[in-house]
Amino acid sequence: SSQAQRARENFTSDQIDHKVAEVVQFILIKDQKKIPIRRADIGKHVIKDYKHIYAEVMNRVCRTFEQVFGLKLVEIDLKQHIYILINKLEPIRGQTVSMHPGNPKMGLLFVILSVIFMKGGTIKENLVWNTLKKLRLDPGEKHDEFGDVKKVVTEEFVRQKYLEYGKIPHTEPVEYEFRWGLRAEKEVSKLKLLEFVGELFDQDPQNWTQQFREASTSGTSSQST
Amino acid sequence: GKEKASQLHAEGSSFDPSAFAEHLLSFMDLNRLEDESGTDGNLGGYLPGGAWLKLAKRAENCFRTAPAFHYMLGSFLAEPPPPRQRVE
Amino acid sequence: MSRQMGDGHRLFLQNMMTNGIVSAAQAGMLHKKCCELHGGQEKIDDFINVVNTHLQPLFMHIRKGMSEEDGQEHFVLVNMAETDITRMAADYAENELELFRKIMDLIVESDSGSASSTAILNSADKLISKKLKKKEAELVLNKFVQDKWLKEQDGEYTLSVRCIVEMEPYMRTIYQDMIKVCYVCHNIALQCQVCENPSCEIKVHLPCVARYFRARSDPHCPACNDFWPHEIPEMQAPQSQS
Ligand SMILES: [Zn+2]
Ligand SMILES: [Zn+2]
Repeated sequence: SSQAQRARENFTSDQIDHKVAEVVQFILIKDQKKIPIRRADIGKHVIKDYKHIYAEVMNRVCRTFEQVFGLKLVEIDLKQHIYILINKLEPIRGQTVSMHPGNPKMGLLFVILSVIFMKGGTIKENLVWNTLKKLRLDPGEKHDEFGDVKKVVTEEFVRQKYLEYGKIPHTEPVEYEFRWGLRAEKEVSKLKLLEFVGELFDQDPQNWTQQFREASTSGTSSQST
Repeated sequence: GKEKASQLHAEGSSFDPSAFAEHLLSFMDLNRLEDESGTDGNLGGYLPGGAWLKLAKRAENCFRTAPAFHYMLGSFLAEPPPPRQRVE
Repeated sequence: MSRQMGDGHRLFLQNMMTNGIVSAAQAGMLHKKCCELHGGQEKIDDFINVVNTHLQPLFMHIRKGMSEEDGQEHFVLVNMAETDITRMAADYAENELELFRKIMDLIVESDSGSASSTAILNSADKLISKKLKKKEAELVLNKFVQDKWLKEQDGEYTLSVRCIVEMEPYMRTIYQDMIKVCYVCHNIALQCQVCENPSCEIKVHLPCVARYFRARSDPHCPACNDFWPHEIPEMQAPQSQS
């Protein structure tokens, strides 16, 4: 648009480069706690006066993430304009180079995502708590590694958009259900998850025909090699 | 609702979360000592220290998580320390 | 001459993000693996230069530094910007960072280059932002160690090589003359040996002492020539990065 063109002419190439760098930094910082990034926050904290060239800056930000880091900036909510960073690269397998500490919470998250997926995509919260109890995790008690388990599951994972935790309508007393969150939809490979579940059961993942069909046709699986 | 449930039954294996939990406990090397009462009431045995980390490491490859950037410099405002006499 | 980044470089960078710091040996293995998976035959120094060229506009850098304890080389992914945006970092709360500044003060002021947990817990009780209770302070200290900013041994805390490599510009600016510098390698020296000649008092890292005085039965201060009275540590074989 001519307005954007005029706006672009007001800024030097260096100034735009600098803005791109600031947005990249901002997004990396928000990603420390895996908090999805709102376009409104980028505008408020970083872009400010550069709003007319927002689109151009964001294009270059996306390119920077891909070309320098091998990461993808994905819009998970098209109405509210919320973004997350996901990985484009396959991780290195094997012991020689696997030096990083790892996050035990991902184990907890995996269990919940698996139960939700294997049971059709929506489950009542009791199924989650009962499964976790069998794994020696009591939502009522403080856990050495996870602390307040209920808080981690219903607040932290929900804030990060790994899970959705919503009221079931017309329930009295109120009951809640769990679903995969918008981040999980983009970040988790259903096929690989089903493969691991198959390993645990010593079963061919294709035996779960419904789940296998969904895992094979869901968008993210086509990206895995 | 009911249709989807019957579909899951008709097509392919069912999924039992209790059995899933049992398999996970085995994967996480649950110590099933008979005389260990643990803190979990009637659930016997205990999970070794790195159990959840072991599960996390294996489950990691199902995720396309971006690594995060952590740093110390620039995370707080630089302020000179209070004046202190260095003993010579 | 700027080279494009390939998936091998990106994978290396991602691993640096996850780990924060790697030893030269680990970096060598990582480099080898990245080249195996994604092609590339550059030597590791050129390989890292390519990454650094692309990180420069983002005020990030993979920097080399030596451990004060064993003299081993390490690679650290550092941030170089200090702005309102970088201060939005979420790893630590404001009072936890204030405690970290106090710990740095204690360590820099000390002769040993370390601070006792007692001294640190005292500081935690005197924070301006929000006091930390003993239990809370102990948890934060553990986190600092886990995140590789501090090292702990027998209740004494020292700055890790990751911390020194990233914070060096900050420390030189903030502490100015208060900060000890190694006579041999010219880097910041917190844990070091000191010449006992009162009009000399040069500082030398233990690994630098080992290297400088190796195979000398009669060590003398490189600055004033007085006898060097301290125990000369054994030199550790440098681990190759291939
Ligand atoms: Zn030195
Ligand atoms: Zn001297």
